[in-house]
Amino acid sequence: MQPMAPVATVAEPVESLQLEDFDQVVSLYWPRIFRFALVSLRDQEAAESVAQDCFLRAHHARQRFRGESSVNTWLMQIAVNLVRDYCRNRRIQFWKRTRALAPDLDTVSRSIADHGVSPEGKALVKEQIEAVWRATEKLPAKQRSVFLLRFVEDMDLLEIAAATGLKEGTVKTHLFRATETIRQRLGDLV
Amino acid sequence: MNEHLSSEQISRWMIGERSAQDEEHARECPECAAKVARFESAIALFRQSVQDCGERYARPDIPLPAGVRRARRSFAARPSRWAPVAAALVLLAAIPIYTNSRERRRQAEMARADAALLEQVDVQISRAVPAPMEPLVSLVSWNTSGASHTGETR
Repeated sequence: MQPMAPVATVAEPVESLQLEDFDQVVSLYWPRIFRFALVSLRDQEAAESVAQDCFLRAHHARQRFRGESSVNTWLMQIAVNLVRDYCRNRRIQFWKRTRALAPDLDTVSRSIADHGVSPEGKALVKEQIEAVWRATEKLPAKQRSVFLLRFVEDMDLLEIAAATGLKEGTVKTHLFRATETIRQRLGDLV
Repeated sequence: MNEHLSSEQISRWMIGERSAQDEEHARECPECAAKVARFESAIALFRQSVQDCGERYARPDIPLPAGVRRARRSFAARPSRWAPVAAALVLLAAIPIYTNSRERRRQAEMARADAALLEQVDVQISRAVPAPMEPLVSLVSWNTSGASHTGETR
């Protein structure tokens, strides 16, 4: 049996990070918050806006942060709420916006697929990546958030529960449903 | 062997809820093991693509709202990001120096070895007889000097 695919190695958050040093907080966590917003919203401008708002709110609320969760979980909690709010508003704005700023799936998948060993291998990798992106986009909002926090941001169930405000059991249910849906949508590709 | 893993079991496997029986089955069934591995691989590729996408679409000059000091700096302004590049360049530059230094050391050692050999050769050729015969020579010399001495006394 092949070994388990390695879980993403993200820089470990500095738990003792002093929120007074907000520059460091921003530089350390900006990539994750932006990435989460980008893959959730598929809109670069919206993702930047969410990330900015996330850090602005965190900055205003930093005195109230008691360290009951990690800084990463706390920031993700803010980001999850902002993404959810944005999605609600987006329904109204849908016809006003263009999707010109959406990530180009072809470019995104090709850059990874280029590492494939054969043309067939590259094509399969590209197809798989695009299929998971499309499947993720169609997930219900909560399932998508839970799925992304688990498999992209490498957060455990308790952290996801804290970030989403859901119970651990509910997180597990959403995660299972999301994973099962994506697996079914991948069909013969896996 | 048990029945193959169902789609549900594979999804549960992915979220960390696999039973001992599932693991045992996957160990014995290459088909199910391959299915699990392919799904894991697809998720890992997706994760990598999201991370790449985050980097690709992140602008280095996003103005943070007032009240939050701008901490994001461009690549060029972040020494920590240049550090590996600088280290690699230093390493690349150091390789020829290290190689030259090793070459010089090797040549010096060869020269020393050559000198020692020549010295040994000099010693060998300055001998009147080969080294194994030297004890005989001293014996002969002693006899000769003894005979001479006797002759003189005569």
